[in-house]
Amino acid sequence: MLNMKIKNMTSSHLRRQVLGFIFGILAFQNIYADITKTISPETQLIEWKLIENNLELKLIQRLPDQTRSFFEARNFPKDITNDIANSCVFQTITRNNSKDTNQSIHVSLKKWLIKIGPKTQPLKLKETWEKEWKNSSLSSASKLAFRWATFPTEQSFEPNGDYNWGMISFGPKPGTTFDLYIEWKINKQTKNIWLKNLICPKNR
Amino acid sequence: MKYYKLFLFLFTLNIVFSHNIYADKLITKLADKKLAVNFKLPDMDGKIHQLSDYKGQPVIINFWATWCPPCREELPSMNRGWAKIKSEGIAMLAINVGEDEDTIFTFTGDYPIDFTVLLDQSGDVINQWPIKGLPTTLVVDPQGRIVYRAIGGREWDADELLNLVRALK
Repeated sequence: MLNMKIKNMTSSHLRRQVLGFIFGILAFQNIYADITKTISPETQLIEWKLIENNLELKLIQRLPDQTRSFFEARNFPKDITNDIANSCVFQTITRNNSKDTNQSIHVSLKKWLIKIGPKTQPLKLKETWEKEWKNSSLSSASKLAFRWATFPTEQSFEPNGDYNWGMISFGPKPGTTFDLYIEWKINKQTKNIWLKNLICPKNR
Repeated sequence: MKYYKLFLFLFTLNIVFSHNIYADKLITKLADKKLAVNFKLPDMDGKIHQLSDYKGQPVIINFWATWCPPCREELPSMNRGWAKIKSEGIAMLAINVGEDEDTIFTFTGDYPIDFTVLLDQSGDVINQWPIKGLPTTLVVDPQGRIVYRAIGGREWDADELLNLVRALK
């Protein structure tokens, strides 16, 4: 029926324009990457939000003192608490916004990088922290809290609203500005993007 | 006018197929249906519960912690969902990860939980289940297989979602 309608059109120029417009809209929906930066009026902390190809990612600054108090409340010793608090911890929320039941999203933090000036480096992953604490007196309850409060290194997000949240430590000292390379897979197809000028907040 | 109608038709099709208003509320059906690992965990009164105690009925199992913001957001809807299904032969369990009775007791003063809360203080149970983050909810069918998973919070009092569990009976 659609083909018949198109065939019946008398002006091929107009037909091309209409189809071009429609396909333009469809294509725009698929490639549109939206990055917003907002400052919370209450806390003055910055949130970066990326919406791209059904991935929704929020990175929200945490003050070192916020992170410190979270881990102190879970009986972390002061030296370890300070190490974590000063390693640029962001609250991270990732969501699969796809309505297509086949659009699984896979995130591996092992692929993410930060860039400070000309130098790129990997993130400080939870496995690295845990290795550092292997011989420490940290209780298993504290380790458990750290494990579940931090963002998984690898995770798949199915459609139907799967999301997860958790802390990510990017590594640099408070006050550092850095670019972040983010990579994810949608059905084994790799996507990536650079977020520019993220800031590790300082205590106020 | 023809072009306008054609555009409207295609545009409507695009909107209809790209926005399913119920999709956000549902849970993922698992293809492999792995057998759930049995557990023995105490509830708030120290009574031991095993997953095998619930064999023959669907079980909704939520893993959570008091410090987890989406868990706090989700639990009231689970409590409302429980009020709907408790007489329907469906079980609902909230397995707390890594916290003690006092912490949970204080928390439930603000967030009442009328269904069974179990304590996985050592994290041994969650480590054996296919879970990466909190909250995660799994639905076990009457044969003891994990059939649905929701990573992150859901509105558990939504009938579209509860009907999926009811259909397992």
